[in-house]
Amino acid sequence: MHIVKQLMVIPGVIAAGEYAYRGDRFSYKGALTDEHARMASILCRANTLMVNMQSEIFDSFSENCGCRPVQGWIVRGNKMTICSVGNYFAFISNHQEVLNDVMTIMRAKVGDVQDDLLVNLYSKLGGDTREALY
Amino acid sequence: MDLQKMMELPGAVAAFTFSDRGELQSHVLREGSEMTPQVLDLLARSCVANLAIAGMEARGWEALTGYGGFEPLKGFSVIGLEWSVVVDGNCGVVVKNRDADYEASFNAVQAS
Repeated sequence: MHIVKQLMVIPGVIAAGEYAYRGDRFSYKGALTDEHARMASILCRANTLMVNMQSEIFDSFSENCGCRPVQGWIVRGNKMTICSVGNYFAFISNHQEVLNDVMTIMRAKVGDVQDDLLVNLYSKLGGDTREALY
Repeated sequence: MDLQKMMELPGAVAAFTFSDRGELQSHVLREGSEMTPQVLDLLARSCVANLAIAGMEARGWEALTGYGGFEPLKGFSVIGLEWSVVVDGNCGVVVKNRDADYEASFNAVQAS
């Protein structure tokens, strides 16, 4: 079953979706409008880019420190949480055990995010992104 | 803040506190872990930055969409390859991914 469908089966998941690292595509299911899903995708891409930049700095201080490549991030709100693993995201309510269930499914189904994440994030630059980055 | 208590969280390898400017103030490291005070110092700075940005996003999201539930912000977590850092306020905990209990970790940093 597709990851988004599996996430939507979990009670407490409000919406879930997938965004392109390039920032120009998204798909979702759940209680969001198209415009809000588009905004959520931009927010997720920006946060993913930010935490990856930070992990590159950590790695330069302490090689193989265990943070790189970043797998995802969580923003915990008062009653709602956004979590992202790879290029998937989920909006969930803060009911007990929902976050752990969602993270378990996301980590298991998305798998380990590989080192080419930044190349994908920057691919809109055009040309040979790998050469431009490294 | 009882950092030793936070080290009892599943998979905890480090617990730390930091100032509002991101300076590492106190920390506890699990013996034998690969985490170093230098990485924790950088981590503390990134935590302050990430909490500030997440707070801005929460406020902006609520204002633009009309949806509630994000404010006040209750924390931020970065999930690395082997470990995750969970922070709120001036306190953070680093937990091994394979043992991580994110809800318990968020509850612990919120309580401290």
